[in-house]
Amino acid sequence: MTETILSLKDATLSLDGNAGRVDILRGITLDIARGETVGLVGPSGSGKSSLLMLMGGLERATTGSVNALGHDLTALGEDALARLRRDHMGVVFQSFHLIPTMTALENVATPLELAGAKDAFDRAEAELDAVGLRARMNHYPAQMSGGEQQRVALARAAAPRPDILLADEPTGNLDGATGQAIMDLLFGLRDRHGSTLVLVTHAPELAARCDRVIRLQDGALSAEDHAEAAE
Amino acid sequence: MSLAIAARIARRELRGGLKGFRVFLACLALGIGAIAAVGSVRESIQGGLEREGAVILGGDAALELTYRFAEPYERAWIDARAEAVSEIVDFRSLAVFGAGETAERGLTQVKGVDGAYPLYGAPELEPAIALEDALRTTDGTPGAVMDPVLIARLGLGVGDLFRLGEQDFRLTAALVREPDAAGSGFALGPRTMVRTEALANSGLIQPGTLFETQYKLRLAEGVDLDTLRDATEDEIVGARWRDRRNGAPGVAEFVDRLGSFLVLVGLAGLAVGGVGVSSAVRAYLAEKTEVIATLKTLGAENRTIFLSYFMQIGALTLVGVTLGLALGALVPVVFAPLIEARLPVPAEITLYPGALAEAGIYGLLAALIFTIWPLARTEDVRAATLFRDSGGTGQGWPRGRWVTLTLVLFGLLVALAAQFSGLVSLTVWSAIGLAASFVVLVGAAWTVRLLARRAARARFLRGKSAVRLALGSVGGPGGEASSVVLSLGLGLTVLAAVGQIDANLRGAIERDLPDIAPSFFMVDIQPGQLEAFRSGLEANPAVTTVQSAPMLRGIITQINGAPATDVAGDHWVLQGDRGVTYSASAPDDAVVTHGEWWPAEYAGPPQVSFATEEALEMGLKLGDDITVNILGRDITAEITSLREVDFSTAGIGFIMSMNPSALQSAPHSHIATVYADVAAEGAILRSVSNTYPNITAIRVKDAIERVSAVLAGIAAAITYGALATLITGGIVLIGAAAAGVRARTYEAAILKTLGASRHTILTSFALRSALLGIAAGGVAIVAGGLAGWAVMTFVMGTDYVFEPISAVLIVCGGVIATLLAGLAFGWGPLAARPAHILRARE
Repeated sequence: MTETILSLKDATLSLDGNAGRVDILRGITLDIARGETVGLVGPSGSGKSSLLMLMGGLERATTGSVNALGHDLTALGEDALARLRRDHMGVVFQSFHLIPTMTALENVATPLELAGAKDAFDRAEAELDAVGLRARMNHYPAQMSGGEQQRVALARAAAPRPDILLADEPTGNLDGATGQAIMDLLFGLRDRHGSTLVLVTHAPELAARCDRVIRLQDGALSAEDHAEAAE
Repeated sequence: MSLAIAARIARRELRGGLKGFRVFLACLALGIGAIAAVGSVRESIQGGLEREGAVILGGDAALELTYRFAEPYERAWIDARAEAVSEIVDFRSLAVFGAGETAERGLTQVKGVDGAYPLYGAPELEPAIALEDALRTTDGTPGAVMDPVLIARLGLGVGDLFRLGEQDFRLTAALVREPDAAGSGFALGPRTMVRTEALANSGLIQPGTLFETQYKLRLAEGVDLDTLRDATEDEIVGARWRDRRNGAPGVAEFVDRLGSFLVLVGLAGLAVGGVGVSSAVRAYLAEKTEVIATLKTLGAENRTIFLSYFMQIGALTLVGVTLGLALGALVPVVFAPLIEARLPVPAEITLYPGALAEAGIYGLLAALIFTIWPLARTEDVRAATLFRDSGGTGQGWPRGRWVTLTLVLFGLLVALAAQFSGLVSLTVWSAIGLAASFVVLVGAAWTVRLLARRAARARFLRGKSAVRLALGSVGGPGGEASSVVLSLGLGLTVLAAVGQIDANLRGAIERDLPDIAPSFFMVDIQPGQLEAFRSGLEANPAVTTVQSAPMLRGIITQINGAPATDVAGDHWVLQGDRGVTYSASAPDDAVVTHGEWWPAEYAGPPQVSFATEEALEMGLKLGDDITVNILGRDITAEITSLREVDFSTAGIGFIMSMNPSALQSAPHSHIATVYADVAAEGAILRSVSNTYPNITAIRVKDAIERVSAVLAGIAAAITYGALATLITGGIVLIGAAAAGVRARTYEAAILKTLGASRHTILTSFALRSALLGIAAGGVAIVAGGLAGWAVMTFVMGTDYVFEPISAVLIVCGGVIATLLAGLAFGWGPLAARPAHILRARE
């Protein structure tokens, strides 16, 4: 029997905005198995990124439960969530979100340092080498192109060998060729570390590379298929 | 054409309102407000002194003579020229209450007045009785009024008897306010006022004792003061003239100097505010980079864009200047009752356009100086920025013409400040000091960033994520290091310099002087009393040394037959009367540097030995003739020797010493210094004043306390000025911290995503603040120490000792201030949900 690594039960997310309360996610129930690659697809505003944030504990469910690696994320405090991410998760964003005051090497080493790794910098170097950025290690984010910044972000997410890799439209800000290279790297990292990958994307060809595709419509799951069926 | 377009663009851009310019406006308004307020108070005091000139002086004109009354023919001459004349005698004495061992003694400045006093104004007495009644002799005992401070010190009550010399007086009222007190200058003791004729049997006014007489004149309308002054100085030799146009020249000059100095401190505050102004403009333009790039894409020329933003900043500057002037004009008016109550002189607090204009000009120039560089950077924004982030508006030097313009504006500001303050040398040195501090601080900020960058990569810090995060933030691009180190550092530097100067001055007077100074100065020792006085004291085992010298006072009127001021300018030796002594042989400790002392039995034409340092400053040399007016008689003596005189030990030191036959026949008294154990001082004072009621003993410790109190007042005023600078620094600091909130929130969100706990993030925020605070404080200590050394060495001419306590306090203050600002603006970022922050940036 395959181990469930992520599990959501009737999870909802509502946020208070200027225009009143908005229901972002409604009654999401979902299990993801260890080692699985899952594509989250759907139109803009359907709640894909919000669902990913719930899975990463970056957003707290309004009702229902979110369980990751046996931990109920809705019951954990901010710091406990941070420790869980530190030890088990890597997150990649569309806008890279590198720390502007740190070099590429420092950015990649930071999660390893936070985890208390003695060889943080050596591992960060190796990880940057793996994404082809050894020569740019001491550059600041502002000194790099978008594709390079996203490669640093990938290296940073993958460096701690996370059980779960969460990627929010990682190629959304990149041109086609660069995006393709990034995706190759992402899947390569996933294969190398055996992580579970949850990927938010608008691109059908990327979704097609996943084991399973989850479709969202107006904050709710609309259909669930195997990747083979999506093709 | 481009001007009109620029104006239109500027107007549209300003629709966004003043948000984001709060620090800009606060810095400008506070800096200008402080200068305008100081200037207004200075003008208020000068206005008050001018308006009340006759009251402060006690007459339309006043003549002062040193230890003599006017001769009958002189008095007749004065009476013939005034509608009314009041004669006043002024001297120091001891007021004694009680008898024997329990008697209380207090040094007092006695003022003997006649029935005509006061010609202008009225004294305020408690109980409120007429002065005439208060001073009247009742049952054979004359009345007296006394400063409440001295009444309290002696434990006197109204109706009690006390003694001045050998005369008893009855205290009839407390002298709450003396109308012409400000015109009397600095006094070592509080005032006692009596009728002059009541002093006749006191033994205090004898030939040779130290007293001054003043003849206050009420003049008819239309009398030409200059003509009368010239006639008086010709007629009454040795008379010093003052008139209502400048009733208290010492006070007026002091207020002018202190006011000007405080304006200079205010300018330092404006420089600190300038850092905030510059940062605000830089941040505003950074936000506008895309707009500028778009405008360039649409065909706007550099000139149009520069003009547009210059107009926007110009409009905001005008708002800031107006706010500052309103603040500076209103604060003195609102706090008028408080200010007037604390001032010893009358003040006419109202709006002074001159003071406001001065502050406004400083403000406009400072705003220009600090905004030109960021504005010039708009030229460097390329249209391509829209397509690829080129790293903001550049960090290098702007083009040459902008650097030149900035230097010209700085020069203009310094020149104007020198012109307005009249303290050219101090202004120029302050400007050099400020510019040097600025350069040092910019260098320090650069070094701190470099070191932080290096340290962040150091192997030994690997794994210490909070420390490395802090170092990375301080050293990385776009940090707040420069503005925090500059603004806080500059504010702390001013405070450190004031602290060092204050501590050194106090140290010299309170700590060093009592160790070398005598216990007492004894004055008015009559020649007949000298021998018994000396032997009595020398027999006392608690007394270590008694030194005495004959004492006369005289004014140097001529040098080699020419008016002294024509030869030696306004050297301090020529201002007022100086002590003169005589001695048959050189004193044991005298060091004759030039020439030779006269032979012991010399009885020829007068010869004088002059103090070496002062002689050289005044351009005097051996063989020169100096004419000294003593008791109305001119004595011309040849300088036959120069000798070193050390005034720093508070011992006996005379500028001039003559051969005995030149002065011996003139009525005079002796002065003595007594060095004794501290524990025995009370007994010595009792013994001397009981045996010799006419001798006034001045306890040096009391005199030092009185001087210290005056210095403390000055130091407090300067510290308030420096605090205004520090408050501006604080605003800049808060502005920098607030501006960094967005970056910190973003950073905290990423770090939380990567697994950092709130403790780690907060520690990192605190560490970076502490690092910047330490850097700013460290530089402030060095720069403030250098400024303190320069002022003590070159201005005060004394030794400088580094004062560690105020220095450490300043570093701690800097660290705490940055920590508080950093943490106050750190809670928000910590509390923010990472998902919200990160998605908002998608």
